[in-house]
Amino acid sequence: MKLTRRDFLKNSTLLTSAFVIGFHLPIKGMAAQLENKKEIIERNAFIKINKDNKITFILGQVEMGQGAYTGIAMCIADELDAFWDEIIFEPAPVKDVYNIPGMPMMLTGGSMSIKTQQQRVRLVGATLRFMLKSAAAKKWKVRVYDVETKDSYVINKRTKEKLSYGSLIDEIKNMPIPSDVKLKEKNEYNLIGTRVKRHPIEVEEKITGKAKFGIDVRLPDMKYAALVQPRVFGAKIKSYDDSKAKNMAGVLKIKQLPNEKIAVIANHWYQAKQASEAIDVVWDNGEFEKISTADLEKEYKSYLGKEDLPIMKKDGDTQTAFDKAFKVVEAEYSFPFLAHAPMEPLNCTVHHQGSKAFMSVGGQFQTLYRGTAAKILGINPENVEYYNNYLGSSFGRRANLSSDFVVDAVLVAKDEAYPIMTLWTREDDIKMGYYRPMTLSHAKMAVDEKGNITAFKADLINQSLTKGTMFESMMFKDGIDKTQREGIEDHPYKISNHDLKAFCPTSPVTVLWLRSVGHTVSAHIVENIIDQAAVSIGADPLDFRIKNLQNPRFVKLLENVAAQSNWYKREKNSGFGVAIAESFGSIVAYIIKVKVENNDYKVQNVWACVDCGMAVNPLGIENQIEGSINFTIGYIKSAQITLTNGAVDQNNFYDYEVNRLKDAPESIKVEIINSGEKIGGIGEVGVPPMFAAVMNALADATGKRYTKFPIKLG
Amino acid sequence: MNYVIINNKKYELKDIPQDTPILWVLRDYLNMTGTKFGCGVAQCGACTVLLENKAIRSCSTPISEAFSKNITTIENKDDIELKALRIVWRENDVAQCGYCQSGQIINAAGLLKSNANPSNEQIKEAMNGNICRCGTYNKILKAVTTVAKG
Repeated sequence: MKLTRRDFLKNSTLLTSAFVIGFHLPIKGMAAQLENKKEIIERNAFIKINKDNKITFILGQVEMGQGAYTGIAMCIADELDAFWDEIIFEPAPVKDVYNIPGMPMMLTGGSMSIKTQQQRVRLVGATLRFMLKSAAAKKWKVRVYDVETKDSYVINKRTKEKLSYGSLIDEIKNMPIPSDVKLKEKNEYNLIGTRVKRHPIEVEEKITGKAKFGIDVRLPDMKYAALVQPRVFGAKIKSYDDSKAKNMAGVLKIKQLPNEKIAVIANHWYQAKQASEAIDVVWDNGEFEKISTADLEKEYKSYLGKEDLPIMKKDGDTQTAFDKAFKVVEAEYSFPFLAHAPMEPLNCTVHHQGSKAFMSVGGQFQTLYRGTAAKILGINPENVEYYNNYLGSSFGRRANLSSDFVVDAVLVAKDEAYPIMTLWTREDDIKMGYYRPMTLSHAKMAVDEKGNITAFKADLINQSLTKGTMFESMMFKDGIDKTQREGIEDHPYKISNHDLKAFCPTSPVTVLWLRSVGHTVSAHIVENIIDQAAVSIGADPLDFRIKNLQNPRFVKLLENVAAQSNWYKREKNSGFGVAIAESFGSIVAYIIKVKVENNDYKVQNVWACVDCGMAVNPLGIENQIEGSINFTIGYIKSAQITLTNGAVDQNNFYDYEVNRLKDAPESIKVEIINSGEKIGGIGEVGVPPMFAAVMNALADATGKRYTKFPIKLG
Repeated sequence: MNYVIINNKKYELKDIPQDTPILWVLRDYLNMTGTKFGCGVAQCGACTVLLENKAIRSCSTPISEAFSKNITTIENKDDIELKALRIVWRENDVAQCGYCQSGQIINAAGLLKSNANPSNEQIKEAMNGNICRCGTYNKILKAVTTVAKG
């Protein structure tokens, strides 16, 4: 990679006493078109160095618990030799330079942050360090070779004199920018590849209550809004009576929004919420009022096995393979709608000021959300100042192409004189959310006498995540959503006969990706049916996988978890299960042990092995895998969204049961294999194989195949 | 005038309806935003504060119950249990998104104040009401256990 002069900037407008360095890399497609419109120089800024040696990293990736800030900062700080403990993080404004390379927008998702940013941010750090060394060498009248750097200082190797980076900013301001600075060799890393805890400043904020999430935004003269939302999907407001609500304490205004919601604006949010509960609405619930989960299940079931479903992958001669098979296994899988239920309820704060606006939110799609606000307010996106806060988790909920909670907040604040935070209740989140779509699928697998898989057939039915969105042209083709394909048409096993189909029914229920997207479902189909195939011929499920795998990376992981867990010495039918899946460029293998007791079960032990190519922060990876395991256990055991008469049955955490501490496994062991392959993601990859690992372990323990989520014994 | 003592400082409460939950008094009237809203129905523990050294869910406790009493929130810098917990929280790299962590730490402090040496089972029982959607439970358990043994 090579930097050119125009790749860098010296931005005097940001901070007069600071040197700001950034860069631009050539990007393709739509992004490149955007680039031509404006001067690069206005927009690039990744590192600020102040004269007092305060160093700030400006980060376009958002922090929602996945450790993007720490991981990216490690990459910059290592190459820059910046003093780790004192680095300050600042969320980037919305500017094209912070876009994901190759995409026309800033976004944090798809487990992409470190994998897409590490190379380029390292280059920025390395280049700046080289410039600082050159400046110091010039001052001391020595060769660059005679200086070194450590903890935000340049050191004269001979005299041991030190110059802070901040003291050199005047010298580097007009220095030509070197274009081919070498990155550190592996043996020169101080941070990359080591177990680094979450950055101490971020941790301090999070353990003292100082961390600012979207919900913590406080502005002068700020007001709060609560919403009345429909409960039946697609319902419309016929009329409403707010005569009681509008006279309640603190209420400033009640207004109907054009998206079939009613907003109560009040001095305090609790007042707004109380008043919202006093509004009587007459709804036109429409046709969907007649629909309940059982109806959807029946409809979905009618699609399974239909010959004319859209074809995902068809090769070989599946029918003959099934006819000639030594054994055939098949299963139907049922997966409910799932709410993300991020810990921080959805919110967004907007201040509309005529031709300008300010918004402050925690969101995964900065560019889109700012654009959405601008469109609704009828102003130029450049005139919307966007501030991104910490996200109180998300799991995809704050990466909504429909921008739902942002739309609400903008509609509420439009033409109002003060900044307004629109905050959803937990009930709003559970009952009127966007959900990981309900899925019904059927899989069938054939095996020959030698233990080779000879055919794989599957039908997958769920609503499209992208149809009707800006991603449709990219991701919805020939009746199939790309997210239905992932993990199933590119499964890792040697199979020559496929008959894979998918179909996307429609309904007014709003749907959205959840952590691990299509893999959430595909991994449990593939990894459960293969388990059934193994057991059907009396083979060891792990050996059976190894025999049928084609990629040695997978085999290595399975061998690792087998060794960790003493797999081959396990007691028969004692509740062991194995699963492996690749997602977002990384592979995760699990062996787990469940304990079945009193018609219930608990995941007791998990042995995990991860290959993400290059482990930037092994401790961060371990934390994400541990977290993913716990996160997924809740979806395996209890959480589900069901519908009765077009409305969600669940309300809050008392009936939408997510994972709790007592469900956490007694032990989770995570080992990492640094294969040196292309770097993959981490935030989501621990989720997919967990579902099947539990299914397979339960079958081992009980002899029964549980294929309907959430899995209840009995 | 009604008052509460928050982290050893007295706050007079003017124009606040008595049925307002402590959570919203802290967050919206006093702008102390460290205590979090998670569910509003005492199911997730994000809003936990100490009332006279006992862990309570502030989203479901009206401010009138705290009149003339001591409230401890995550912003408290001096509390001994909070200090000890922060050390193990750092050591164990517990926090991920961080949103539930105020409630987790305060809830653990409440436990330790009532029982300086809780057993593993007692810790699990006490902390089970605090949801962490990031799933940091194993590290929470390890951290609290460390303090309990110390």
